[in-house]
Parts: sequence; C-alpha cells; structure tokens
Amino acid sequence: MINKVVGSFDEALADVRSGAMIHFGGFANPHNTPNYLIAALARRGADRLTGVSTYAGHGEEVQRVLFERRNLEALHDGWDLGLMAELGRLGKLITSFPNGNSRELLYPFEHVLRRGEAEVEVLGQGSIAERIRCARAGIPAFYTPVGVGTFVAAGKEVREFDGVPHILETALRADFALIRAHRADRFGNLVYRGPRTFNQTMAGAAGVTVAEVDEVVPLGDLGPDEIHTPGVYVQRVVVRPSTPHDDWRTPA
Amino acid sequence: MSEQPELLDESVMAMVAARDLPDGAIVNLGLGLPLALSDYIPPDREVLFHSEQGIVGFGARVFDPAEVDPLLMNAGGEPVASAPGMSYMSHDESFAMIRGGHIDVTVLGALQVDARGNLANAQIPGKPAPGLGGGQDLATCAKQVLVVMRHLAPNGDPKIVERCDMVLTALGCVDRVVTDVGLFEIADGRVTLLEYAPGWTVEQIQAITGVELAVAEDVREIVLG
Repeated sequence: MINKVVGSFDEALADVRSGAMIHFGGFANPHNTPNYLIAALARRGADRLTGVSTYAGHGEEVQRVLFERRNLEALHDGWDLGLMAELGRLGKLITSFPNGNSRELLYPFEHVLRRGEAEVEVLGQGSIAERIRCARAGIPAFYTPVGVGTFVAAGKEVREFDGVPHILETALRADFALIRAHRADRFGNLVYRGPRTFNQTMAGAAGVTVAEVDEVVPLGDLGPDEIHTPGVYVQRVVVRPSTPHDDWRTPA
Repeated sequence: MSEQPELLDESVMAMVAARDLPDGAIVNLGLGLPLALSDYIPPDREVLFHSEQGIVGFGARVFDPAEVDPLLMNAGGEPVASAPGMSYMSHDESFAMIRGGHIDVTVLGALQVDARGNLANAQIPGKPAPGLGGGQDLATCAKQVLVVMRHLAPNGDPKIVERCDMVLTALGCVDRVVTDVGLFEIADGRVTLLEYAPGWTVEQIQAITGVELAVAEDVREIVLG
C-alpha cells in the first residue's frame, strides 16, 4: 500500500545531512511558505546547507514590521528562510533577492553576507525557476536570452539563436524540496491554494520532495481534474498542527 | 533651487503610467512605485495584471484588513483584490509566460536608465549583493518596458544618464520613462521629452538630466484622463 503521509515534521526531515542542497518553496509570504518544515530543519541542526529560494527570507522581525505596515495580524508560526540565516545554517544561497528591497529593513541573510559567512549566487527569478523545472523534467541545461551582457552571464557559454545571444543555464536538482500545499491524499497528490509559486515548481526537482499541507483527505476526494501536482513528484506529506505553535523549537 | 516647480507625487506618476496602458494589455508591475498602477486603471479599459508568483488578472490594492486574502498579494507583498477571470499558476509557468513574450508591458522601478535604453536597478546602494527579482526576465522579454522612477537619486544625482555606471540588469530594453518631472521616450540612442510636469520648462528638466534631451515636436504639459 502506498502511504506517503509521515507522522511528524521531525521524522520527515530526519535524514537531512549537513552540506545538503535544499529547495525552499513559496514566495515572500509566510502563508505560502513551508513554515513547519523550516522549523523542523532548524531543529535538525544540519548546517553548511545550500539553499535555493526566490528570496533570502524575512526573519521574524522584518516579517512583523511588514505585517504591521499593512495592518495585518502577525503570525507566530510564520518561520521562513530568515530563520536558517539567523541560525547560521546556510553555507550558500542561490536566489534572486539576497537583500530586502527597502534600505531600512535588513533581511537576516544580509547580516550573514556582511560578515562573509556565506556565499551567494544571484540569478533572475525566471532562470532559477526554469533551472528547477529542468531538474524535474530531466533536462540538463537550457539557453535563455535573460542575463546576456550582465554579471549573471560571467563564465557561461553564449550561443546565438536567430541572431540573438543566449546563455546556457544548467538544471538545479536538490537533495530535498520543502514545499507548501493546501490538500493532499496518501498518494502525495497535491492541490494548492492561491498562486502556486515555487511550491509547484520545486515539487519533483529533488531526491526527496516533502509537502507541508493543511489537510490530508481520503484517496479519491481529490479528483483527477483538480490535482495540480501528481503524487509521483512527492515522497512525503506532513500535516500542519491544528493549533499553531509559537516557538520553532517545539517538536512538531 | 528654491524656484523649482513642484514634483509630481507618486500617485500622479502612477496615473501617468497607467494612462497609456492599452485596453486588453497583459502588464507586470515591479517593486516600488509601479505597484500603485493597479489602483488607477481607467474604468473603460480591461488590463490584466501579471505577478511573478503565478497570478494573472488581479485587481486593485486592498487597504481594509477585513477584505484581505492573505494568499493574494502583488509582487511587493501588498494585498490585492481578486477579480473575475483571474488565474493562478506555478513560478515556472509564470516565467514561461514572461520569457515566451506574452507580457505586453512591464513597469519597473530603476536606479539608472541611459540613452541606449540600458537599465540598472539591481544594486541598491549600501546593500551587500545585487538583487534581480523577476526584473531581468521582464526587462529582457516583455514587449514594452516602462520605467517609473524619481528623476533624481536620493543623493541628487540624475538617474537618466548618457551611460549607466551601475550594475546592469538588462541591455537596450527601456522604451519609456515616467519621472516626477516628465514623460520620456528612449529610442535610437536618444532620450526625448514628450511631456513635462505642470510648471516645468524644458531648460529646468534638462538641468537635472544627465544626458542631452531631444524634445518632441508636440511636447506638452502632462494631462491626466
């Protein structure tokens, strides 16, 4: 019998080792971020991780300020990649936003970079997304016109198609992909809510894809017309706690 | 500069940029000033706003917390309204849409723009690393690139220059620029003043611009609506 539902977040990430490469899903919003998987990764203690994420994470303080500015209630369990930066677990980050966009709000990763404690590879969001998609699809590399003549082209092969220069970008396969979805069944089929962000992109682009979901429903409840990510791409599913935690150290 | 006329405020700059979006256009709004455009679409037009995380067709920004859908934000994390016909997708699909040339207009903020249409908006002064977001894909692949920015940097330097000396985001891509003193077109290595803010003269605008301006034959004061 197939059952990808795992009993706890800690169990779901028990085999993550230091030095692993990890895709972090979502898009700069704690509501589409795999918060409890990130907390479990923090508890796991693995370090020198290579992270792949559209942004470097707000961290608790910046997130609180951003929510206040919009008159929204802050989350107590809105952990994002900023937590990993604060704990010094990232050896390298591949991202499109290593910094906060505002001059006064500093992402935790900005402090890490200033101290010279991690490497960063900055790349346009579309090239990151396609590198990940290629990993899922078994395509080793692709040409794109994006980045030609800029710092991202340094050291990359350039080839012209129809007279337009393109650079070669390679697939980005991770050891683990940590993603967030709304509903799942025991086959690992997923349905998302809202914009599907890097969550859908990263599913299947890693040795182990782990989905954090609001709810697991009986097999058959998710119909073939509504499933966004077939369970083939997903190895583990974990359900978020019904009562939110307020400390990432609390086992979940 | 005590005699300097008034600068356009951010909402007027957004209205000037929104005024020229054609009916039916697919438009992406970048971080900063461009995000306000979704609030100012003339009622006789249907414009579909695209956002990187996988949305096409969202509505105006939402300021009442009771009305907020926490999953539905623009690229800057500001809550926006859903609208009939809106659709969601993945990040890779969203950028296939961009790279594939399906976005009509991208509206971007900038640190510098030059006469060749080069765009610099990656390296914010004081930040440890450049940031690209989706701007590089959009600037390279959208059919039209519209920049909305202040005319001068916080330190007083002109942002429209002969040649960018900041980290480049994309080459030869910028078509139009809205600043707080006017509307400009960039083509064939020239920056042309099309419209000026109320009270400003061509000479005053030239004095705070880092490249020699051409002036449109029918140059006129900015008029909204």
